[in-house]
Amino acid sequence: MIFIFKVVDVCTRVEGHGNVNILIQKDEIKRVEFEIGAFRGFENFLLNKKLLDMPRIVSRICGLCHASQTIASCKAIESMYGVEIPEQSVLLRRLLMTGELIKSNSMHFFFQSFPDLSLIFNIHQKPLDPYELIKFDPQLTTNLYELIKIGNDIDRIFGGKSIHLISPIPGGIIYAPSRKNVTIVKRYLLKALSNIEWIIEKFINLFASLSPPEEYNLPNPTFLALYNESGSLDRYLGNLRIKAPKSKPIDFSINNYDKYFNKDSGLMGINFNEDCGENVMVGPMARYGILETYNVDEIITYLNNFSKEWKNSVLFANVLRLVEMYVETKQALVMLEDPVLNARVPLPSLSSVKKKIGIGVVEAPRGTLMHQYRTNGKDEIVEDVKLFIATEFNLPIINKMITKYAQGLYEKTGDTDLIKKKVQLIIRAFDPCISCATH
Amino acid sequence: MSLTSCSGCTSSLISLDVFPQFLERTKLVYFPFILDTEEIEDCDFALIEGCVSEPHQVDILKNVRKHAKSVYALGTCAAFGGILSLSEKKDAEPISNYIEIDGYIPGCAPPSKLLGNCLIRLIENKDIVLPKKNMCMSCPLRGKMDLILNRPIIKMIPDPSEILTEEEETKCLLRKGILCLGPITREGCENKCIKFGMPCEGCLGPVSKDYVSNIVNFLSLINLSHDLKKYKGLFYRFSKPNIKR
Repeated sequence: MIFIFKVVDVCTRVEGHGNVNILIQKDEIKRVEFEIGAFRGFENFLLNKKLLDMPRIVSRICGLCHASQTIASCKAIESMYGVEIPEQSVLLRRLLMTGELIKSNSMHFFFQSFPDLSLIFNIHQKPLDPYELIKFDPQLTTNLYELIKIGNDIDRIFGGKSIHLISPIPGGIIYAPSRKNVTIVKRYLLKALSNIEWIIEKFINLFASLSPPEEYNLPNPTFLALYNESGSLDRYLGNLRIKAPKSKPIDFSINNYDKYFNKDSGLMGINFNEDCGENVMVGPMARYGILETYNVDEIITYLNNFSKEWKNSVLFANVLRLVEMYVETKQALVMLEDPVLNARVPLPSLSSVKKKIGIGVVEAPRGTLMHQYRTNGKDEIVEDVKLFIATEFNLPIINKMITKYAQGLYEKTGDTDLIKKKVQLIIRAFDPCISCATH
Repeated sequence: MSLTSCSGCTSSLISLDVFPQFLERTKLVYFPFILDTEEIEDCDFALIEGCVSEPHQVDILKNVRKHAKSVYALGTCAAFGGILSLSEKKDAEPISNYIEIDGYIPGCAPPSKLLGNCLIRLIENKDIVLPKKNMCMSCPLRGKMDLILNRPIIKMIPDPSEILTEEEETKCLLRKGILCLGPITREGCENKCIKFGMPCEGCLGPVSKDYVSNIVNFLSLINLSHDLKKYKGLFYRFSKPNIKR
């Protein structure tokens, strides 16, 4: 008889419910899995819904990435109706996504990444709770809290509500910001810029000269992200790009995604073809890996402070999350100056479905997010739904890393409690979004 | 703490203006999103986000009830079941089906003002107070509301080209043939969707305990198109028909 012993531990400080399962057989770790909580079945209950009803429902997949979910859904539906949305709506969608990114990334840095980094680099012997963090560095917590508020308020102003937005609909954004609101948001973003700069410098002073521990090294990842030919960070428009180690990047239209990866409707788990390899990774590291540079001078200087070891460590994602906030805040400030933003522009009419299948993709804060809907055509009712979620893309590489690390540590120490603690640190470095992944 | 949810209510809570004050004036004993503590300890009050969709969550709830002097449902999932009510395969039960609760803060996600006010009252050891009227009572389009009975209702969402916002010359959405759930939904969100030209989808939940009668009365006043009549999840988007209230 084969006896498999399973150690389960609840993951704390992750968004949603996750477990670490350690499978031990004959005193050897067979596998460690990051198991995400209850699967909710959105792909199933979205069936038979009207196309125009979809964005409001999919928003509820996640209270952190709701703007990305809604906007990916709107893009999929617009491709089916064959409509172009006004330039103003594109700007507002980008601004909403920036608000979401600022809020999500600063929450992660505040509650997850900073306490973990201080532990990993031995600044503290246990992760700081919010009370200890406030005492340890009041300026850092104030700056982060202001950023959470700023991200939240940008989405409240341009989206109608700060969570589960009203303004993004298939066809565009129902909102033309007043000059007063543009001025308010501009003030917020300028404040955000100086807060983020302060935090990046703090990060460099505290951690950049140290070497990240080996267990955080990425195993030759293949990056997947949206890529816009302009070469600048763009989470809204572009083709998909795959970049495997030591290979030339492959660009493909989102309509051809199934040549590279696919999934079964209603089931968890994404299957990758051989161009992708085993270690697909999405998110800030993938976006940077694909872009190679953000084309922003001060960021290039900041990133030069980090060694090669840092750049191959998943802990580098913490740096990139801050950097992306900075880059997007700068981009948002430029968008606010665009005269198109204030115009009252009519939205297109959605008269009839031209294509039975629609695909919408954006880069959510945690990586590539894609929605595919198929309709019956005549009464615009959805017959099939596939949701490709960033955390789902990252699960195989997370599990591979935690298994390898746990096996080594178990051989050395045999201490499953220690493994549980250490493995959680690796998982949190990926910033998994469990709500999204349990769609 | 969270059950089956999108974490949006927790995220709303953390982004409130009063959250730093809340941290200062309380001591969190259990909050997995931001704390590493694994055991629930005795506390003055508990806020629970999410619906009950898995059997093991009942034990968690009972454990919270045992340790907390008062328990509040945070958001529409915990209060009424929430968006998972659309699922025919999954349970989506409000926490009050399993434990006694001391109140709820509705909304998907709860509106910041409402949530902030409730939180302050909780810190001050007072009961929370919710608005008692329906959405129409505070609706900016109320003056343009329709009293003609049997108005045909043919759409649940307006076409993007027809959407007019509050400042523009617009009229009650029901009068335009768009299904707005304002008449049977509790106010408290400052009519945000309606101000953006979108109908109320009922996320703040019913204004009275007898939601079924509310729906029946509402349906007797409007003439819902055949297409909408057979569409699932119009009235029971945020709660299942059979839940106990």
